[in-house]
Amino acid sequence: MIAVELRKLARRPRTWATLFLLDLLPTVVAVLLAVTHLGPRPGQGPAFLSAVLANGSLFSVAALAIVLPLFLPVAVTVIAGDSIAGEAQAGTLRYLLTRPVGRTRLLVAKLIAVLVFVLVAVVVVAGTGYLVGKLLLGGQPLTASTSVAGVTGVTSVSGSTLTAGQIALRTVLAIGYVALSMIGVAAMALLLSTFSDSPLSASLGALAFLIGSSLLLPLDAARGIAPYLPTRYWLSFIDLFRDPILWRNVERGVLLQLVYVVVLLGAAWANFSSKDITS
Amino acid sequence: MIRSTGLTKRFGQVVAVDDIDLDVRAGDVYGFLGANGSGKTTSVRMILGLVLPTSGSVELLGEPMPRGGRRVLPKVGTLVEGAAAYGHLSARANLELLDASGGSAGRRTRRHRIDDVLEQVGLAGTGRRPVKAFSLGMRQRLGLAAALLPQPELLVLDEPTNGLDPQGIREVRELLLRLNAAGATIFLSSHLLAEIEQMCTRVGVLDRGRLVVQDDLANLQAPTGRTIVRTSDPAAAVAALDGRVEGRDGDRLLVRADDPAALNALLVGQHVPVSELVAERRTLEDVIMERTEPGADRVMPP
Amino acid sequence: MRRGWRWLVVAAATAVLVALPFAAHLLPVAHSSVSAAQLLTRIQGSAHVQYSGYAESSGGLALPVTTRFNSINDLFGDRTQLRVWWRAADDWRVDSINLAGERDLRRDRLGVWTWDYESNTAERFVEAVVPIVRLPRPDDLVPATLARRLLSQVGAAQVTRLPDARIAGHDAAGLRLQITDARSTIEHVDVWALPASGLPVRVTVFGKGDSAPVLTSSLLDLSTSAPPASQTAFRPAVTAKVRSSQFGDIVAAVDQFGQSTPPPQLAGLRRAPLHLGSVGVYGQGVTALVAVPVPPRLARTLARQLAGTPGSVSVSSGGSEIGALSISVGPLNLLLSAEGIDDARWLLAGTVTAPTLLAAVAELPPAAGFR
Repeated sequence: MIAVELRKLARRPRTWATLFLLDLLPTVVAVLLAVTHLGPRPGQGPAFLSAVLANGSLFSVAALAIVLPLFLPVAVTVIAGDSIAGEAQAGTLRYLLTRPVGRTRLLVAKLIAVLVFVLVAVVVVAGTGYLVGKLLLGGQPLTASTSVAGVTGVTSVSGSTLTAGQIALRTVLAIGYVALSMIGVAAMALLLSTFSDSPLSASLGALAFLIGSSLLLPLDAARGIAPYLPTRYWLSFIDLFRDPILWRNVERGVLLQLVYVVVLLGAAWANFSSKDITS
Repeated sequence: MIRSTGLTKRFGQVVAVDDIDLDVRAGDVYGFLGANGSGKTTSVRMILGLVLPTSGSVELLGEPMPRGGRRVLPKVGTLVEGAAAYGHLSARANLELLDASGGSAGRRTRRHRIDDVLEQVGLAGTGRRPVKAFSLGMRQRLGLAAALLPQPELLVLDEPTNGLDPQGIREVRELLLRLNAAGATIFLSSHLLAEIEQMCTRVGVLDRGRLVVQDDLANLQAPTGRTIVRTSDPAAAVAALDGRVEGRDGDRLLVRADDPAALNALLVGQHVPVSELVAERRTLEDVIMERTEPGADRVMPP
Repeated sequence: MRRGWRWLVVAAATAVLVALPFAAHLLPVAHSSVSAAQLLTRIQGSAHVQYSGYAESSGGLALPVTTRFNSINDLFGDRTQLRVWWRAADDWRVDSINLAGERDLRRDRLGVWTWDYESNTAERFVEAVVPIVRLPRPDDLVPATLARRLLSQVGAAQVTRLPDARIAGHDAAGLRLQITDARSTIEHVDVWALPASGLPVRVTVFGKGDSAPVLTSSLLDLSTSAPPASQTAFRPAVTAKVRSSQFGDIVAAVDQFGQSTPPPQLAGLRRAPLHLGSVGVYGQGVTALVAVPVPPRLARTLARQLAGTPGSVSVSSGGSEIGALSISVGPLNLLLSAEGIDDARWLLAGTVTAPTLLAAVAELPPAAGFR
C-alpha cells in the first residue's frame, strides 16, 4: 500500500512542481548573495546566511534554514492535506475502500508517503544548496585563506573548527531533524484531511495551526504552553552545529513531534475508521 | 449474496433508509429501483461498508459488514455513484494502481486481467491518454472495467449506464448478461424502469427509504386475466363477447378472459377479424405506481 | 458507543502524554539536614566545584538605554540561555545561546576569549588589563556565579533555610537572604544549592513589594562530573576575525581613561577597596550602586533617551530643578546628574532607593572630562 501511495505521489506533476519551487528559493538567495556579497546583519535573516559568505559549503544548511519557516511547511500541508480529502474529492476513496484497503492502513500509508516526500524534499534542498553553494559561493577569499593555512574545515557556531567529516555527519543529522520536524504538521494536515472533503481547506487548516503556533511562540503570555507548540523546536537543528552538539532541544523537538504524530494520527484514526464515506 | 435485516440509516433527523430487508440470491440479476433521493446509494454504501448503519445489519457473501469486508470485498466489483479515477493518469495506470492497492486477484495476472477488462468495456485503444481527456461515457466504461478487474463473484453497480449512449447501454447490458450467464451475481441499482425491466430477474423497489417491492420479475409481471384484442371490426367483437369487454379504445379492446386461445377460437368462430391478440401482463410501472406514493423527490410540508 | 470508544482511547493517550512532563515534578525530594549557616559557607566556597550544564536566566528589567548598553538590556530584560562548563574560577566556558548563533566567553589563566558567531569575530582580553569594573556579561548570570556574588559578604545571621526542591534533576537545599538595609530596593534573594558541594543551581531575586522575581537564573540540566579541558579551551578558527583588545567595554574604558575621582564613601555606602579608577563601586552584595562619569557625547545621548522615556523624572531639589534625571526600572534606580565639566555627567545606578541615589549624587564632585 505504501508503495502504491508513493507511486501515486511520484506520478503527480504537482509533486515535482512543489520540489522545484522548494529548490528555487535557496538558489535565488545564493545567486543574490553571490552577486551582491551582502549578508544579513547579525541577528537578522535566516541562520547561517552570514556564515555562507565565508564558506559556501554551509549553504546546504542555510538552504534548509531558508525553506524551513514557510516554504517547507506549506509544501507539506499541501501534499498531506490532499491525502484523504483529495481521494474523497476525486471520488476514488470509495473505490479504494471497497477494494478493500483497510482504513487505518490507508491513513498510515498516506502519512508515510508524505514523510518520504518530506525527506526527499529536504535532501534535495540540502543537495541543491550544497551544489549551489560550492558553485556560486565556494570561491570566497576567506575559503582561499583556509586552504592556504592547510586546514580544510568549517567554523562551528561555537567558534571551533569542524572537519569535513564532522560537517557531513551533522548535515545528515540536520536533514533528518528538519524532515522529522515536519511530521507534526503532516499529521495535522492528515487529520483535517479526514474531516473535510476539500483538500484546500485541510491544507489551509493545517497552515493556520502552524501560523497560530508561530504567533504564540514569541508571546511571553504563552510561555507556559510554548514547549507544546509544534514550531517550538524547529530551529533547533542549528544546535547540531554547536560544539559540542547541544542535544537538549533537539531531543525535545523529536519527542514533541512524535507526541504530535501519536495524538493527531490517533484522532485521524478515530475519526476516519468510523466515518461514513459519502463522497 | 446480499442479505440485510432491518437496515436503517439516519442522517440527523432525516431517515435515508428505513428498515429494509434485502435478499439477493446467487445468480440473480437484481434490479434495485428507486427515484433519485429514495436512499438507493446510501443502501449500496451500507452494503459495501462505506456507510455504517444506524441500526440493522448487512451480510455480504455470508459475512457481516463492515467487519467481514476484508474477506469478502475482494470478491465484489463495485461501481458506486459514478466512476472516479485519477485524471492525470491513463486508464491502464489507474487500473494498475487500484489493483495494487489491495484485494488483488494476483500480481502476476494483473497485466492480463487489465488487458481483458479494457477489451471488455471497449477502452483497449485509449493507450496513454489521461483520463481527464475522457468523455463521460468513457469514464463510465473505465469505472466498469475497475469493477470487473478482480473477476468478482458479485457486481454491485450503481447506475452503471449513466452517461452512455444507447449503443453503449446496449453493450453494457449484453456484457452484464454474459457475466451473469458465466456465474456472476449482479446487483444493479437504477432509477430507469426500462433498464431494470429489460435485464433483471429480480426486483426491489425503494420508495423514500422503504423497500416496497421485492420479488421475481416474472411474479410481478403475472397475467392480469385480461386479453387485448385488436380488430378491424370492433363493433362485431363487442357484440360477440357479450359484456366481457372492459374497455374500448378505437380498434383496441380489453377483454376479460383467462385463456387467450379460447378467446381467439371464439372470435374466429364468430367471424370477427382478429389482427392482434395478446394476454395482458402487468407492467413493472403498474406495480410501482400501485405501491408507491407520487413524486418521491417532492418535498411536502409536514 | 460503538464509534465513541476510539475517541476515548485517543483522549486518554493525549492526557497521558501531556501529563508526562509534569510527572517528574511529583517525584519526592530527598530532605537534607544541612543548616543555613553550613549551606551559606559551602555556597561561598563553591567556586572550585566542577560541573557543566545548561541554564536559563530571565530578567524583567526593561532599561531605557540603547546602543552601547544593548548587551545589558538583553541580559536583564529578556531570557538568556547559557551553556556552562566549569573547571575552576580561571578555567571555564559560558556560551550564550540564541536562535541563529551564540556569543561565547572562555576564561583561561591568562584572560578571556570572546567569540561572536554572527560577526565571525574572536576577541582576546589579556588578564593584566582585564578591568575590575565592567558591564555585566553573560557569565555573571550563571546561577553559581550570581549566587556567590550576591552572598559574598553575607553573614550566617542574615540567612534562613528554605524547603528543598528538585532542580535540574538534583535535590537542592534552599537558602533565603532577607535584606534588612533600608537603602536597598531588594526584598530577598533565594538560592538553591546542592547540599553537599554547595554548588548553587538556582537564584531568584525579589524586589521590595514585587510578587514576581525581578531576576531568575536556574540550571535546567546539570552534570556534576568534571568537564574535560578540551571543552573549555579555545583556538579560534582560521577563518575567524581575531582581535586583541586593551579594554573590554565602555565602562572599563571610562574607568581607565576618565579623570573624575569618586569619593571613598557615598550615601553611607563604602567604596569597593583596591580599586582606584574613575568609576566608583559602592556597597556590597545586593545593596550596591555604581557611579560612572559619562563622557559628554554619550551623556547627551543618554539625557535625551532618559528624558524621552515614560516615567523619567526631572529631579528637583529645594523647589528648583537641578538638571538631573532619574528613573526607576523595577528595583533598579538610575540617576543622570546635571552637566559637569565639558558637559560630562555622572550616571548613578543601583539597587538602592531613589533618595539614596539623590543623597549620593549630592556628595559627588562634578564629572570631569577625559584624557
